[in-house]
Amino acid sequence: MKGLTLRHLSKTYFDPYSGTRVDAIHDVSLQVEAGEFVSVVGPSGCGKTTILNMIAGFLPHSGGDILVGGKPVKGPGPDRGVVFQSFALFPWKTVLDNVAFGPKMRGVARAEREKIAREYLAIAGLSEAAGRYPSELSGGMQQRVGVVRALANDPDVLLMDEPFASVDAQTRMTLQEELTRIWAEKRNTVLFITHDVGEAVFLADRVVVLTKGRVLDEIKVGLPRPRKWDDANKDPEFQRLSAQVLEKVRAA
Amino acid sequence: MRRRLETTAWFMAPFAVILAAWAFVLPLFEVNPRLFPQLSQVIEAARETLADGTLIQHVGASLVRVAVGTTLAIVLAVPLGIAMGVSPVISTFISPLLRFFSVLAGIAWIPIATLWFGYGFGAITFIIFNAVFFIVTYNTLLGVSTIPMPVRNAALSLGAGPLVMLTEVLLPGALPNIVTGIRTGLGFAWRGLIAAEMIATNVGLGYMLFVARDFYRTEVIVLGMVVIGVLWLLIDRLVLAPLERATIERWGMVQRA
Amino acid sequence: MILVWKIWGAYVRLTARFPSVATLMPFVPVVGLWALVAHLELFPKVFFPSPLDVWRSFIDLTWKGILPDYLQDSVVRLAVGAAWGMALGIPLGVLIGMNRIAYRALWPVLLFLQAIGDIAWLPILVIWFGYGLVTMTFVIVYTVLFPVVLNTVLGVRSVPPVLARAAQSLGAGRWSVVWEVILPGALPNIITGLRNGLGYGWRALIAAEIIVGTSGIGFLMFDARRAGSVVEIFLGMIILGILWYIVDSWVLAPIERTTGQRWGLVTR
Ligand SMILES: Nc1ncnc2c1ncn2[C@@H]1O[C@H](COP(=O)(O)OP(=O)(O)O)[C@@H](O)[C@H]1O
Ligand SMILES: [Mg+2]
Repeated sequence: MKGLTLRHLSKTYFDPYSGTRVDAIHDVSLQVEAGEFVSVVGPSGCGKTTILNMIAGFLPHSGGDILVGGKPVKGPGPDRGVVFQSFALFPWKTVLDNVAFGPKMRGVARAEREKIAREYLAIAGLSEAAGRYPSELSGGMQQRVGVVRALANDPDVLLMDEPFASVDAQTRMTLQEELTRIWAEKRNTVLFITHDVGEAVFLADRVVVLTKGRVLDEIKVGLPRPRKWDDANKDPEFQRLSAQVLEKVRAA
Repeated sequence: MRRRLETTAWFMAPFAVILAAWAFVLPLFEVNPRLFPQLSQVIEAARETLADGTLIQHVGASLVRVAVGTTLAIVLAVPLGIAMGVSPVISTFISPLLRFFSVLAGIAWIPIATLWFGYGFGAITFIIFNAVFFIVTYNTLLGVSTIPMPVRNAALSLGAGPLVMLTEVLLPGALPNIVTGIRTGLGFAWRGLIAAEMIATNVGLGYMLFVARDFYRTEVIVLGMVVIGVLWLLIDRLVLAPLERATIERWGMVQRA
Repeated sequence: MILVWKIWGAYVRLTARFPSVATLMPFVPVVGLWALVAHLELFPKVFFPSPLDVWRSFIDLTWKGILPDYLQDSVVRLAVGAAWGMALGIPLGVLIGMNRIAYRALWPVLLFLQAIGDIAWLPILVIWFGYGLVTMTFVIVYTVLFPVVLNTVLGVRSVPPVLARAAQSLGAGRWSVVWEVILPGALPNIITGLRNGLGYGWRALIAAEIIVGTSGIGFLMFDARRAGSVVEIFLGMIILGILWYIVDSWVLAPIERTTGQRWGLVTR
């Protein structure tokens, strides 16, 4: 397990046709400790996706440093697992083959990687679906596969960009509870991006509030784990923290 | 506007490179002109055939044949396709037949056409007609049968008579398929034309190529190939693509309605 | 009238159980009409033979071994040409689809070469390679190549970029992305391209056999035309029709449909 460091990170988009520049990220510094779960929350358009894409290596950054375990990142790589809002499962691979993809890229033999994949599918309660194609699953199940596929590759850092934004509200709550449970087992370093304040507080050890390409504030969340929505809704501490974060986000 | 110019420039750039290589690099090598011509020879051939009017004559002959055969085919195929497509019974029964004949479209008819009609205009027009007719009939029939029954019933219950039904519902509804059919059919017809002209006539682009081959006049062959390519690009860009765009947009309207 | 509907109903039920009946049945009245017209000798018999004549010629040529040989020649030529067309077309399509420079340099040229069309190449090919296999193979490869390339490019570009990103962040290198993401994602389009390409390639083969061939079904037909044997021309056309019908609707079309559907690429 390794930590993630952002130092004075910045990003300027350049539109070659109109010739204009957009400063999406100004100066973001952030330290995510090894085994820590950090949520980044902020209004739409504040630069969350941009930050995540730079960490993942999908976008070059304009300034500053991105370090994983102290080493600068160069392009996308298996040390940073990504869970996408649109799931991004391979439609032509079965659920099992989707989850086994990462180990396959590492050169793990078929029998071994299928064993790994089955283990992870079992954790997410997906053993039944192993032989099915993604298009045959509900959105909630697809995103479970998405999460498990990233985890099965045993990344140093797990990056999640609004992964539950496109599933229905009930399923979302179930998925959030499952994520805290699985995370409690694996203790990965996680950077979780969302615009949903409740989600940010519920999942994280620490919530980072982002506005207009800058870090506005950080709030520690000391709630006990494993977390359940039934308890959280009744917990005054959860409500106090949520209100505090919401205030910051709205002030932005 | 600037974007458009830029796209055109990028489109032309590779051709400029090829022409430059042809004009300046090829003369450095001793290429037998009976195998491949120099650019200057091709230009000379173009000048010559334009001056004595033979190029125009060949192009004209080919285009007239295509126009006549295609028009005739469309005029017959569309009404027939609609008439048969209106009845689900007839259209399911008849479509394997039409598919079989579309499969044969064009070139496979050359031997029998030349036997029935002799060498010349008749045989070639028949081949083009054939290539377009069956494919368009089949597509029209398909198009009509894809118009949802509720739409037809709605039109009927709004008091549409047979003529209104035809012009307001059936024809527009089948139009996207008809256009697709014409595009495919014309593609086959154009190839059929060149092939047929090589064996069955004494004028036309295919004939021009084939005769040039007898005398190893590669510059005329290459000229003919370029003319064929440019003509087809023009037909495709100036006639077929706009037609398709117009009807696909139209189809969008039909869908939303 | 009721009887007609009853018969039709029985026919529909029969075709539901045996789909091939629906394919074959419509040809019964056509062959019947053909037999009648031939019998009445509306056209001179040398121009318009009866179905029975064609059948006899089929038996005769099969017996002599000419027909199986020619059929094999044609099919092998088409298969070899199609294999080359795919072997060249798919990599080229992937390259053009993924690389901007390759796209700018090659795409316009491809469009133009496609517009020239296969058959117009025959005269110069005959000069270069003579009458024979090379010329014919060239023409078929040429015909199959363009639809495959153009559709592969379309397919490559239709693969959502997020899938390539997903693969990369799971550790896939450049080649793995091509192999595991780009190719499968483009596959439905590639098959469509192949289907179109074979449709053209098969016609090009006939033309090539007619014009420069020394064997094959196209040659059989044109040889028959020289000898004035309408029977054999009819036979050739029917064989061509049946052959392509089978390949297209029983092999290519189902492959095209099932790849896309199983993966949910078509419906969504
Ligand atoms: N490719 C791009 N080119 C130019 N500007 C962009 C691009 N992508 C995002 N932006 C701009 O950068 C800012 C941050 O976008 P994003 O990171 O997507 O925000 P978020 O994910 O928080 O909604 C927005 O103002 C957006 O308009
Ligand atoms: Mg975003």
